[in-house]
Amino acid sequence: MTDAALAIEGLSVRYIGRREPALQDVSLEVAPGEIVGVAGRTGAGKSTLALVGGGFIPRVVRAKVDGRVHIGHVDALAATLPELAGKVGIVFSSPALQLSSSKPTVREELAFGLENLAVPRAEMDARIDSVLARLGIGHLAEREPLALSGGEQQRVAIASILVMGTSLLVLDEPTAQLDPAGTADVAALLGELAADGRAVLVAEHAAEVLRMAGECLVLDAGRVVGVGPPGVALGSSIAGRAGLRPPTLVTLAEAAGLPPAAAFDEERIAAALRRGRPTAPPEPTTTDLSVPTVRRAPVEPIEVRDVVHRYANGVEALRGVSLTVAPGEAVAIVGQNGSGKTTMVKHINGLLRPAAGRVSIGGADIAGRSVDAIAGQVGFVFQNPDDQLFHGRVDAEVGFGPRNLRLPADQVAALVEAALSLAGLVAERQTNPYDLGFSTRKLVALASVLAMEPPILVLDEPTTGQDGPGVERVGSIVDSWQAAGRTVIAITHDMEFAARHFGRVVVMRDGQLVLDGPPGEVFASDQTSLLASTGLVPPPAARIAARLRPFAAPADAAALLRLLAAG
Amino acid sequence: MESLQWLWTQCVYDAEGNATNAPCTDNLFLTYAYLAAMVVGAVILFIAARRSRDMSTAVLALMPVAIAINIAVGAIVAALKLPIYLDSIGTVLVGVLAGPWAGALTGLLTNLIWALLPIPGGAGPIIAFFAPVAAVIGLMAGFWASRGVFQLRTDEGRVGSFLALATGVAAAGLAFVALQLTIGLPDLATEEGGTLFVTEALVIVAIGFVVAWLAARTIFALRDGDPRIRTYLSVATGLATAVLAFALLRLVFGEGGWLASLDGSAESGLPGTDLSGLAWADPLDLYLQLAIAAVLGLAAWYWASRGTNARLFPVWIGGLTTGLVAAAMSAPISAGVFGGVTGSGQDLLVSLYRTLGLNVFQSAFAQGLTSDPLDKTISYTVVFLILAALPITVRTMFSHGESTVAET
Amino acid sequence: MRSRAVGYFRPGASWLHARNPLTKLLGLLWVLLAAFLLPPWALIGLAVGLVSAAWSAGLLGDLVRSLRIPALLFASILVVNAFFYPGAGERLIPIGPVGLSWDGIWFGVVSAGRIVVVFLAAVLFLFSTLPDDLLEGLVARGVNHRLAFVILSAVQLVPRLQTRAAAILDAQQARGLTVTGSLRTRVRAIVPLVGPIVLGSLIDVRERTFALEARAFGALPRRTAYRTVADPPTDRWLRAGLLFAIVAVFVLAFSGVLPR
Repeated sequence: MTDAALAIEGLSVRYIGRREPALQDVSLEVAPGEIVGVAGRTGAGKSTLALVGGGFIPRVVRAKVDGRVHIGHVDALAATLPELAGKVGIVFSSPALQLSSSKPTVREELAFGLENLAVPRAEMDARIDSVLARLGIGHLAEREPLALSGGEQQRVAIASILVMGTSLLVLDEPTAQLDPAGTADVAALLGELAADGRAVLVAEHAAEVLRMAGECLVLDAGRVVGVGPPGVALGSSIAGRAGLRPPTLVTLAEAAGLPPAAAFDEERIAAALRRGRPTAPPEPTTTDLSVPTVRRAPVEPIEVRDVVHRYANGVEALRGVSLTVAPGEAVAIVGQNGSGKTTMVKHINGLLRPAAGRVSIGGADIAGRSVDAIAGQVGFVFQNPDDQLFHGRVDAEVGFGPRNLRLPADQVAALVEAALSLAGLVAERQTNPYDLGFSTRKLVALASVLAMEPPILVLDEPTTGQDGPGVERVGSIVDSWQAAGRTVIAITHDMEFAARHFGRVVVMRDGQLVLDGPPGEVFASDQTSLLASTGLVPPPAARIAARLRPFAAPADAAALLRLLAAG
Repeated sequence: MESLQWLWTQCVYDAEGNATNAPCTDNLFLTYAYLAAMVVGAVILFIAARRSRDMSTAVLALMPVAIAINIAVGAIVAALKLPIYLDSIGTVLVGVLAGPWAGALTGLLTNLIWALLPIPGGAGPIIAFFAPVAAVIGLMAGFWASRGVFQLRTDEGRVGSFLALATGVAAAGLAFVALQLTIGLPDLATEEGGTLFVTEALVIVAIGFVVAWLAARTIFALRDGDPRIRTYLSVATGLATAVLAFALLRLVFGEGGWLASLDGSAESGLPGTDLSGLAWADPLDLYLQLAIAAVLGLAAWYWASRGTNARLFPVWIGGLTTGLVAAAMSAPISAGVFGGVTGSGQDLLVSLYRTLGLNVFQSAFAQGLTSDPLDKTISYTVVFLILAALPITVRTMFSHGESTVAET
Repeated sequence: MRSRAVGYFRPGASWLHARNPLTKLLGLLWVLLAAFLLPPWALIGLAVGLVSAAWSAGLLGDLVRSLRIPALLFASILVVNAFFYPGAGERLIPIGPVGLSWDGIWFGVVSAGRIVVVFLAAVLFLFSTLPDDLLEGLVARGVNHRLAFVILSAVQLVPRLQTRAAAILDAQQARGLTVTGSLRTRVRAIVPLVGPIVLGSLIDVRERTFALEARAFGALPRRTAYRTVADPPTDRWLRAGLLFAIVAVFVLAFSGVLPR
């Protein structure tokens, strides 16, 4: 028996009612002070592995399990809750769902776990105070947990687990719903926790988090296809073959011929690229995204003029914002949480009405039109798909929008077919959307709006919670929509996604527009400090390029390498 | 119990309008009824609380969500200004997924929590008086779920027992109507009248039971796969629709109904409100009402014979019976505590029944009978639809979930 | 002491706020029984007592404002009974088979009066008691702490679900759903609005269960408590007094000594 905090050997898991196993013959070990990352596409088995590591399978979730799992010295496959309590803590991706929702303050929320462990009252405050300090949330101690922002809630969730003194921490996509600042926070925190001697197992898509791991597993269809330091595991030889697109920095590091340890070191990458002749990276074996073409349609311009929006408590969310979107433009709107991006965009389809100023489409003010009347012209895809899905089948759900437009049945059927192919959901047409993972549900919600063929498409955080192929898919949809001459507006946290697919980037801060221009300009080195003041950083390729060629801002690794090759 | 006379103010009056000392029988009944309802609620609370020790974390995580659904959906439906409540969906859902006691607890706690929150349009904290009703709804939902109401297919033999139950209820109803047309209902204000009423009620209920039992043993003793099941189900749906439609039409438009009662009074003090012209005189319009009911019944039969729609018949039986019980329980509470009134649009119904001559309790019961079965039937149907869309991952978290929810 | 308002709770430092929640619960029970068992004239005394208690606790303004919540109910009780009282003797203003009558008015006033008194007492109780304190007090007396969790959790979830319902309304309208207009349109809007709330919430139950288990919820038969609720001797005397008062109400009611 090793001293590993978590030891998994030959694990196979098959859920009751499913034919395919979720995991096959997986082995790993996490020692105290070590971070082990797990990468893979959606559905590869990352969450299942996290649930096993947390002791939930087969105890809470019914599944057929083979192999051996030990948390400390406890056999996790046969343990009861009292035996596991306090030994392993698990953190999920939805911050709000992890709160007990029964405590009025953050302090008491942290105490919840201690109460359940029957820790004596006299000891509680000391432990709570130390964890509050550790995570830098002391100023939130008397706040109501459900009223906090996503990033703050996630920190509270982690704190609530840490305060219980668990030595093993398992995290399942903890940054999926956070903005870049929140993601960086969590990554740094994991490093500190490991330095403190805790064992950490983290399943993630975000490269910023996986780079903190000492070792990464890559899963594909339930099997381990490779293990190694992040620079190798996420590179083209392992992740690339599993259908994952390697992170930009890793691609550049490989092209520059750097060892795996330097895969995320921007300075060394820039230096190596400046020196030598970079080799072209191998193409990742991504699935064929044969995206059908979209019909052209007449599109009107959008004009937002001097719009002011006030919340009920009088705070101004938008302070005189003006924006004109010509027909057929692709605009990415970026900014920190709270900058007013969603508020502004919700004025375009009438969900919010301005306190002052005017919003018009095609020159006509939309003030008198109701939201459902505008829906045929402006398609709005919300961030949370679960706010829209209610049918028992994907194809029925996708048809909901066209049916609301009172179109004839055969036209609805044709639109549904087209939308399903665009979103890559043809194989899942009969599945219950809620039986699909979160990222696939996002595609279903997207498809249901695409089926309405709106001339103007508005997407609210389409890439949040998506894996690599999912982001590719959304990107290709944006490209198709634009190729058809239709307008696309997207709010996103993913700067690389914005740079690759959008011809115009609008940066917001505190309810005002701060920057507006093509990505090549917005992300160039002369704007870095202005960007930083809004809480954003340029995409990785642009950051590297800033060190090599001033005023150049390539969107991704391929673009940067082409730029360098051109001399 | 003479000293309890002053517990209520409605008693028996003589010709000059003075209060007499005759015992207020229906009021005694009323008081005992709502005290009994409170006791039942307390007992259910106690039992359910004890059983909660064995409830899994999954169930305890489900309950707050179900309670919140009850309250939130109730508020949405009110915002849509529809004449139903739909505030028991979560209760029924928990009853199905986690058993009757968890369902009862959900209902109880929903009421108590509703009392804790200042929701505009509600009655404030005093809504807690109806907690026993909510508890019973949860119990019944769990009971019906264990009888397979939500998962029966149109070729299962168990359907027969539902058809038999429906037949029994129909027989009891017919017996009641026959009684009213021949002997007539006894005067409840007298003592022997009260005893006679109770005897008659028992006889009617007995008739219902006997008919149901016989039907279950003979016509509806069906085996799985019997093709007659679907026919029976669709016919039953059609018949039930026709009967209910007819009863509603008679109530409103009939010769002794609401609109008719607003005419004929010499001292009609409200000019321009004579609605009696809308009442239909018999016998021609009796046939008209029969025809309308028959058309509706045929439409319902046609609908039920398509696809798997007939599966909903047992669901509706479950909903109707739950609604009846809910009405029976909430009437004494409403009458005894609130003076027969709920503060919502339903009070128009109460007024209607008062004009037809029913007393406080009877009109509260009649109002409940009109709105509760409809509301609960719709709720059960909504839950049926939800269960159909529920993914496997959620269903398998609850031990009851697999035995009460149909395989898709 | 927190300063935010939860539900009905009004932060304050009055004698009422300082009482143990169980004492106040017992007081509420006494008022409830007295309102229904004692003769109608006792209602006036109860009402005066409650109003004075509210005034001395600085809650009078809130109390009066809160009366608008059940205002429609009170009005309804009065009107429906005043006009539609069956079997009444003499009609003041006859309208067809029904009409205004003294008996109806009296019945309506007494019924509404009882409800008003109980409402005042309940609201006063809620103004001065935090649900968290109430439940902690009950748990200390033996109520299952897991049940207390269910109640507190539901109380916090309701506003969140209502926010979610508003978001769903927006999201479905953005897909072309019409929610105004004919009855048929509104009925067809039910499923697209209710469906996502219910299904989405049920999906969430899975993760909530995991989160609770991760916090060792229910792992041990007994748990310790972070929140402490004071129970000074004053409260114990008060509770003894209230128990006596409750018995007294029953005795007075059933012995028939009180005039009608």
